[in-house]
Amino acid sequence: MNKTARKYESAALADEGYWTSVSQAIRQEAVRLLEQGAVAGVVGYIAGRRTGTAMPVVAATPDQAKELIFSPACVNNLALYLTKAKKEVRAKGKLAIVAKGCDLRALAGLLGESQLKREDVYIIGIACAGVYGAHADRSQPLCDATIARKCRECTVREPTDTDLVAGTLPALPALEPLEAQELARLEAMTPQERWAFWKEHFSRCIRCLACRQICPFCFCEQCLCDRNRPQSVETTPRPAGNTAWHIVRAMHLAGRCGGCAECERVCPMDIPLNLLNRKMAKELKELYDYEAGLTPQEKGPLTEYKEDDDESFIK
Amino acid sequence: MHTDKVKHDFEPKIVALVCTWCTYAGADLAGTSRMQYPPNVRVVKFPCTGRIDPVFILRAFQKGADGVLVSGCHPGDCHYMAGNFHARRRFAAFRKLLEFVGVDLSRLQFSWVSAAEGGKWVEMVTELTERVRQLGPLTEFRELELAEQWSGATLTTPELKEAYQAI
Amino acid sequence: MSRIGVFVCHCGENISRTVDVEKVAAEAGRLFGVAYTCDYKYMCSDPGQNLLKKAVAEHKLEGIVVAACSPRMHEKTFRNAAKAAGVNPFLCEMANIREHCSWVHEDRDEATAKAIDIVTMMVERVKRNKKLQPITVPVTKKALIIGGGIAGIQSALDIADSGHQVVLVEREPSIGGHMAQLSETFPTLDCSQCIMTPKMVDVVNHPNITLHTYAEIEAVEGYIGNFQVKVRKKARSVDMAKCTGCGVCMAKCPQKKIPNSFDKNLGFRPAIYVPFPQAVPNTPVIDRENCTWFKTGKCGVCQKVCGPGAVDYTQEDEIVVEQVGAVVVATGFQLYDIGPKPAGSAIEGYGEFGYGTIPDVIDGLTFERLASASGPTGGKIVRPSDGAEPKSVVFVQCVGSRAREKGISYCSKICCMYTAKHTMLYKHKVHDGQAYVFFMDARTPGKGYDEFWRRSIEEEEAVYIRGMVSRLYQKGDKVVVMGSDVHIGVQVEIEADLVVLATAVQPREGADTLAQKLGISYDKYHFYSEAHAKLRPVECATAGIYLAGACQGPKDIPDTVSQASAAAAKVMTLFARNELEREPIVAKVNERFCVGCLACRKVCPYGAVEEKEIRDRSGNLIKVVAYVNPGVCGGCGTCQATCPSKSVELDGYTDEQIMAMIEAL
Repeated sequence: MNKTARKYESAALADEGYWTSVSQAIRQEAVRLLEQGAVAGVVGYIAGRRTGTAMPVVAATPDQAKELIFSPACVNNLALYLTKAKKEVRAKGKLAIVAKGCDLRALAGLLGESQLKREDVYIIGIACAGVYGAHADRSQPLCDATIARKCRECTVREPTDTDLVAGTLPALPALEPLEAQELARLEAMTPQERWAFWKEHFSRCIRCLACRQICPFCFCEQCLCDRNRPQSVETTPRPAGNTAWHIVRAMHLAGRCGGCAECERVCPMDIPLNLLNRKMAKELKELYDYEAGLTPQEKGPLTEYKEDDDESFIK
Repeated sequence: MHTDKVKHDFEPKIVALVCTWCTYAGADLAGTSRMQYPPNVRVVKFPCTGRIDPVFILRAFQKGADGVLVSGCHPGDCHYMAGNFHARRRFAAFRKLLEFVGVDLSRLQFSWVSAAEGGKWVEMVTELTERVRQLGPLTEFRELELAEQWSGATLTTPELKEAYQAI
Repeated sequence: MSRIGVFVCHCGENISRTVDVEKVAAEAGRLFGVAYTCDYKYMCSDPGQNLLKKAVAEHKLEGIVVAACSPRMHEKTFRNAAKAAGVNPFLCEMANIREHCSWVHEDRDEATAKAIDIVTMMVERVKRNKKLQPITVPVTKKALIIGGGIAGIQSALDIADSGHQVVLVEREPSIGGHMAQLSETFPTLDCSQCIMTPKMVDVVNHPNITLHTYAEIEAVEGYIGNFQVKVRKKARSVDMAKCTGCGVCMAKCPQKKIPNSFDKNLGFRPAIYVPFPQAVPNTPVIDRENCTWFKTGKCGVCQKVCGPGAVDYTQEDEIVVEQVGAVVVATGFQLYDIGPKPAGSAIEGYGEFGYGTIPDVIDGLTFERLASASGPTGGKIVRPSDGAEPKSVVFVQCVGSRAREKGISYCSKICCMYTAKHTMLYKHKVHDGQAYVFFMDARTPGKGYDEFWRRSIEEEEAVYIRGMVSRLYQKGDKVVVMGSDVHIGVQVEIEADLVVLATAVQPREGADTLAQKLGISYDKYHFYSEAHAKLRPVECATAGIYLAGACQGPKDIPDTVSQASAAAAKVMTLFARNELEREPIVAKVNERFCVGCLACRKVCPYGAVEEKEIRDRSGNLIKVVAYVNPGVCGGCGTCQATCPSKSVELDGYTDEQIMAMIEAL
């Protein structure tokens, strides 16, 4: 975490009208779909009880759909609700889903991994200005100071391959790419320094597994890391097992992770988990020119090969 | 070619994860040709490098290996046609990850050793053993294994320490 | 499993010289779960094996570790011994303390310590080994032969004669292949058609052979013993059941000026045609690209003159599905073309030979048609340009072959012999003619081959000039051949009436596409790859698929026929049993935990992974999981390393076994 003092701008990135118009468009479409019976439910967000919060919901009636909103507090990756981990949601039938760029990338991954069929889901894409970061002061509007780190360098604000696009994107200023800077800072370190960096972070891990629960790609019914015959990864929250867990998780997400950074957001110990995923995505882009989640792809970078792949590291 | 053995202060533990068709056979050839190499290596046989899960490499380091050698058939020679191609991508990604976490990659060697390359096997094992011997023991994972504190809490008071020692 | 026996072998002195075998046995005895240990001079000998069997009985052993040589050496031996002793063979493992220990280390203490480690690892592994039973796969006793040349015909007849059903698929309208085009064959000079056509007739008359001519392989699925093959039978436009082969249609067809490719375009054929008079089946096809009816919708003469009413312009391609247990690939070869390099090809043409634009420069196969009694000239050797009898003919060998600069480095094997044959045929027909041969080496290994070659020089007076030809060009009605004679070190220039190029033998065009359909591998020239160059020369690495003839590499007729019969024998071996037994090292899916992401299917090199639907009793879909077909699985385990939840496990190499070995260190 970069703790150096830095002055953040507090000017709102998008005006109130943008949020209202997106919310309106979602509501209108959700109500129409439910009234026509085209879908059994709409996965979206409603306002939370406290101001500046929102929570995921599966709206099953037009009345419920009228409550749907979109605000900077809509941080969750809703693609999670369409995975096999959420059987009760999938059991409802054909669903519509409100999807930001992050959610879309996860959906594309799920489509490619046979977890979802495109015809079984109606996608309401959002032209997304960004959402709050983990510790944002939610009394403030979405601004330089409150926007999530992943959103600062978002490349998927304009949704593609959706059934409908809600809202139009306001003009957004270029924000300082804090995560890329942090990644570069780590890459410039010596291995020993990096080891110390991660050791400090992983040692704090309490193995609550929130990162796993929130991840749209952790849809396995039995996680490798819960198995005890054989035990590949120690299950107790000790530094050794924690390190193994985070390495194995990053490896399993390599070439699949869409970068929604939900793992990092939900981490109670503030471990910068998305750095691991960003790093793997960056390497796979460099090695195999692959980016996860832009379109549903039949094979990922680690499930295909080319005969002339780089092997400079092999003797 | 009997040479006087030099006694070293530190003898590294090397785990070799190899495929049965090429590298295991290459190591057999080194044996039948009576080549000599350091006895530090312990071989785990797989049907194919495609079977080698990165978790095994991680586990080997965690369980006390100072160096890991992964070796299989040359591209195009895979007994199973494509196993080593898949393995190549998997390892390329995994070593980048290990590097990012701060593992010294000179402790992890990948190679293609065919059934005819007994000499190359000897070279690979000798090189890695020598290199790791220079680097010294892999302390990072061992320290982690021993580390008990979590959530930032440390055993600060003598009472806690005593209670802990008594467990 | 807790009663393991560890048997440490001295291997004479091979192991005991550097490893303290008694100490290894003693240390192994202290391992948890080891119930018995011993050391013995030669474990693999009869007494050694009996010792093992006796120990199993006396100590009720449930697992066996033999610390001896490499498992590649004696794993089978000891697993058989274990089986004889009543222990599942897959509960017996070898600890390699010879090749990996005693032979490569000199220090006795270090080697002993290492041997103890190796034994410990194997003991931990065996504790977690599971009893495995051999897998059986049913075998469909019907063979598919792809290609109806001499290779395919020989294989088909051999298999059919053994009483099994055969499906023969040929791309051309007639079977026969290149051999039907040849005039005489070396080294005996018997007429090719005289020995070939009876075999072709045998094929069509054989009760066990189903013949699909003018047909191609559309798709192949399945695995050894159980292939499903889709064959596309191209529309012949003639009903094979009705046609009597009278030939009136061909005689009456007004479109008669189509170059006949069977005669290397020297002669002409009508639009409704059989490639050659002895064609099998003797049913014509309509060449729709050149037929006036298909081009303009007017004509219809053949339909009008056909007595049985066999001509059918509305016929469409038909897809036939065949279930077969084995496939023999016999797609043969084609000759290299000296024309300009085709786009995307690594192989260059011959600009110095005019890229094939000089009319009196022909290839060997064209010469065969000229010399053939059933050829376009009735066996009279004439020049294509003006029909005159050539009085001097220059033969050039190694055109394209052994020419790395042209992109082909291999030897085409048959050219030396057929050029010698050509000089003889020429001399027999043009008594006052002179044949010259430019050659690099004369490669004539084979029974009676060298004698044959010598005869062409000594009796038939062919002039052999060792050297390369650098240029060919037209000068008046002559072709000037510029070359060198390296024996006397001079430039040679010959004004020839005809030049015959022995062009390289290449795989058939489309060989790569067919290989992809079959899932077999091929080399950079697209010749199909055998499983082992010496010990498995007729099998593909893909089980159940065999190779015959020049599709695997250049071959003459005797070699092709031998290989075709060998492939047939392999097929018959397979068909001798109702079920196929294979080693049970295959992947299995844990359907309870599989989430059906099918990453395993994406990486499987064998296409062994399928989708499987799990339904409840009332038929509602619960989930889709992966299923590994044990008959197809090759046992590489790439699926398991890829599966995030390890819901697919490779028997014999489970995570549990491997982790135990790593943790034993």
